[in-house]
Amino acid sequence: MANSVPVWWDEQAAGATNMGADEALVAEAVARNMLLVRLYGWQPAAVSLGAFQRIDDARQCSGIAGLPVVRRPSGGGAIIHGSDLTYAAAVPKHHPWGSSPQRLYDAFHGAMVEALAAWKIVASLHSAAGPAASAAASDQDPFLCFDRRAVGDVVMPDRRVGREQAPPAKVMGSAQRRLEGAVLQHGSLLLTANAAARGSAQHPGMAELAGDAVEIPAIKDLVRRWLELVAASLGAHVAVQTGSFAGSARSEVDRLAERFGQVRWTARR
Amino acid sequence: MAADLKFAKSHEWLRPEAGGLVTVGISSYAVEALTDLVFMQLPAVGKKVKAGESIGEIESVKAVSDIYAPVSGEVVEVNTALPSHLETLGKDPYGDGWIVRIRPDNPQEANQLLNQAAYDALVAGQSH
Repeated sequence: MANSVPVWWDEQAAGATNMGADEALVAEAVARNMLLVRLYGWQPAAVSLGAFQRIDDARQCSGIAGLPVVRRPSGGGAIIHGSDLTYAAAVPKHHPWGSSPQRLYDAFHGAMVEALAAWKIVASLHSAAGPAASAAASDQDPFLCFDRRAVGDVVMPDRRVGREQAPPAKVMGSAQRRLEGAVLQHGSLLLTANAAARGSAQHPGMAELAGDAVEIPAIKDLVRRWLELVAASLGAHVAVQTGSFAGSARSEVDRLAERFGQVRWTARR
Repeated sequence: MAADLKFAKSHEWLRPEAGGLVTVGISSYAVEALTDLVFMQLPAVGKKVKAGESIGEIESVKAVSDIYAPVSGEVVEVNTALPSHLETLGKDPYGDGWIVRIRPDNPQEANQLLNQAAYDALVAGQSH
């Protein structure tokens, strides 16, 4: 197994470009036969739908009205991007974390809980099982990812004034697309409430939930600590790459992004 | 499991049927790895498929996975009851949990797939 985990800090980009870059990352992970990670943001703010979500549900959600929509290749609920840190991790299928969805999920989420603890920010992994799997139950799932709970989601107690009785809030969720030769996992850490979201679609982020008593780390410091923990669990170290991944594979990213920008893809359900 | 089953490395199974058709599903190993299943999309009847091509998708709580055609041919029947009864995949993955029936372009193509012993060895290697 490789003893380094290459990590790219990419620039903010539009939804289709971000999805194209994630797909290009998968191909690169297979070519290099190793875990690759890229971090990125969204400009403009946008909504990403899960692979099976209905476009009509997005159109009917007033809290996201007017925001551009892109459909992810992965599952899960809709995410409003713009105030989050998004990551994509790609591993070849025969990687120790490629054989089980849960292992890859737990690796990144468990490491985030541990990283937050270094700044005395309390977080944990959601442990309660959801409803029994069935198509009917799934139709009842909330539209937005951060309104859903899955085992392993990163949650934080709500330390805002007057919210002492509130249940823990979700701050990080991830979803996977399992391809024939590789697995793509991408996820969102909600840093602050997203001003582009309205009403109940606006969720508190890590900065609001942590309360006034703790110091919020600089994002690069938190991410460095988080990914060092991820790499260490593989007996590896983080290797921060020069430049952006999307920039280094521009023509391929643009080619792959075309599909994600088409109405035929976005409105496929 | 029936001795006549063949398996793709992507965890689909294939069973030859009378009249030259083959029935396709996904293995119990694949179903267990996916955990709680929530959605499934099947191909349309009449769709021409190539071996290794995605013919459908299945979503679990954790992941969306493609279902791949183990052989090239034409989809002649789909299990339309399955998407609204995904628990069937877990209960009877090799029987009522069948996904599609394909009329193969080349009946001999299935011979390239894994037999039970070879598939069991593949799974054993992936489980470590």
